[in-house]
Amino acid sequence: MRLLLVEDDAMVGEAVRAGLQDDGFVVDWVRDGAAAEAAIAAHEPALVLLDLGLPKKGGLEILRALRARHCPLPVLVITARDTVKDRIAGLDAGADDYLVKPFDLDELAARVRALLRRAAGRAEPLLECGPVTIDSAKREVRVHGKPVALSAKEYLLLAALMERPGSVLSRAQLEDRIYGWGEEVSSNAVEVHVHNLRRKLGEEVIRTVRGVGYTVPDER
Amino acid sequence: MKSLRARLLAALIATLLVAGALASAATYFSARAEVSALLDEELRQVALSVRDYALLDLTTLAPTPSADAEHRVVVQVWDPAGRVLYLSDNSAPLPLSARTGFTTLTHLDRQWRMFTTLAGPRVVQTAQPTSVRTALAADAALRILVPIVAVIPLLAGLVWLIVGKALEPLRKLAAALQTRTPASLDPLPVGGLPTEVVPLVASLNGLLSRLAQSFDAQRRFAGDAAHELRTPLTALALQIQLVERATEADERAAAIARLKEGVRRATRLVQQLLTLARIEPEAAEQPMSTVTLARVAEGAVAEQQAIADSRRIEVVADVDHAVAVQGAEDALAILATNLLDNALRYTPEGGRVAVRVRRIADEAVLEVADDGPGIPPEERDRVFDRFYRGSEVAVPGSGLGLAIAREVAALHGGRLSLLPGIDGRGVTVRLTLPPAAAKTSAEVATVAHESG
Repeated sequence: MRLLLVEDDAMVGEAVRAGLQDDGFVVDWVRDGAAAEAAIAAHEPALVLLDLGLPKKGGLEILRALRARHCPLPVLVITARDTVKDRIAGLDAGADDYLVKPFDLDELAARVRALLRRAAGRAEPLLECGPVTIDSAKREVRVHGKPVALSAKEYLLLAALMERPGSVLSRAQLEDRIYGWGEEVSSNAVEVHVHNLRRKLGEEVIRTVRGVGYTVPDER
Repeated sequence: MKSLRARLLAALIATLLVAGALASAATYFSARAEVSALLDEELRQVALSVRDYALLDLTTLAPTPSADAEHRVVVQVWDPAGRVLYLSDNSAPLPLSARTGFTTLTHLDRQWRMFTTLAGPRVVQTAQPTSVRTALAADAALRILVPIVAVIPLLAGLVWLIVGKALEPLRKLAAALQTRTPASLDPLPVGGLPTEVVPLVASLNGLLSRLAQSFDAQRRFAGDAAHELRTPLTALALQIQLVERATEADERAAAIARLKEGVRRATRLVQQLLTLARIEPEAAEQPMSTVTLARVAEGAVAEQQAIADSRRIEVVADVDHAVAVQGAEDALAILATNLLDNALRYTPEGGRVAVRVRRIADEAVLEVADDGPGIPPEERDRVFDRFYRGSEVAVPGSGLGLAIAREVAALHGGRLSLLPGIDGRGVTVRLTLPPAAAKTSAEVATVAHESG
């Protein structure tokens, strides 16, 4: 899952990015309001982690503009503004969740997972597709109940496909989901990951849709 | 005696007593004189009437003549041989007087007033104890004193009540002040107060409003400071978690390095906050001394040289050693260090920074110039605000350096201004100290000589 982190403080931003990467997210990080809007428009992140006190354009302003465009993008506000009034203002401006600094990295990751679940229209923490299940909290993949070890990118690719079973994702879309800015992407990276996943999970789990991309069949 | 009421009461009673005593004394003496004249005349009249009898027949005098019992007049008649012919009171015969007219004598421990006249060969004496006159005069004096003394308790009671009533506004004021909490600094009501108390309440209200302002400023500062501390603390909390998560040795080392950086930043912020909080009271405690600005500037350059070297920034000091000011040296040193620190943070590697001390017209000037990115015009008004950081967010800082510098400048009656930097690039932050604080070293030397 590719997230956009908007945080002006270098140390906090770096630590949050490092922490979320550990938890298996792809994190793009921008440090001011204008860059945040540009990044949202360009990359359609799965979720935005938004600080409120930002240079150039305030977090609340960005949030309101986003909701005014009827953009449903999940937004988790992370801020030092801790009064009840601030929290109400943030939620009413369109935030899906509000986390006050200082916060715990594990809690942040759990809230991110919860928001992503809700955004995908699910309530249960497990993703299931045929014999394959993903426990996103533990980052654990099982086939027929047996755990399978996946690399970080393989996991991200599988999770991206299993979020919406039946829908087809192109190679470019998949690259976008699993690689952040500045990460080197070899031309056949997606093919290599798909190949490895089929080897580990079984050939039938990921299907190739010729000329379009890849999908996991919807078996519900 | 601390009570105004008791003091007023004591003063009043004392005044009344003294006045009563004086009036009584005056009455006593004047009454005494009058009574003396009156009774002398009585003595003479009695003597003269007795003389008429004495010339005739003394037997007619057998009973006490018109001698006034109340006035205890005694009558004595003597024959030429000095024998007593008649005594109105034979318990204590008075001696024969040698001369006629009025005399005062002491007889048997008693003072007597005596009138002596001749009736042919006989001598007629009328006499009266002087105590009679004293008693009469004392009587008169007492009649004056008694009502005055009698009225004292009444007056005292009245005064007690009146003064209490008059002091009521003060008592109410005290009660109103007593119920105040440190947070309630609203002005006290002035309406209905006696004119003597109004200036007191007005000064109190002035003090209260200054206190309220200073409390407000403190509260705002504490709020801002707490808010600003949250970010470094957040960074620390996150960095600690990353250290905990790190499993590989090199990963762990990197996380710990980041954590140390975070601790350094939090420490620096706290340090700056303390500096800001202390600058005013500490500078107020230390008397202003003569400070050579060049020394302050050079001290700051020496202190920051290592940082400048590490970023390959060339620092040039161009200072006039003749420029001295009256000031708090420690505070000025903090100001110079902060300006230089700021310049070094915002100037890219390989850049230039200049520190200058000179005199412009009457004023002493210390400036720090750089050839960095400069400050956008829309941010110039705000850079001196507490916790304001420029939009160049990549540069770490507490946002307090310039706020502290402004505080120090204000303390010296000076000001900070922003000018273009080196070769039209970057920014120059200039401290200007007014002529009052600026002195040439010659003037300072003269002053030092005179005072020495």
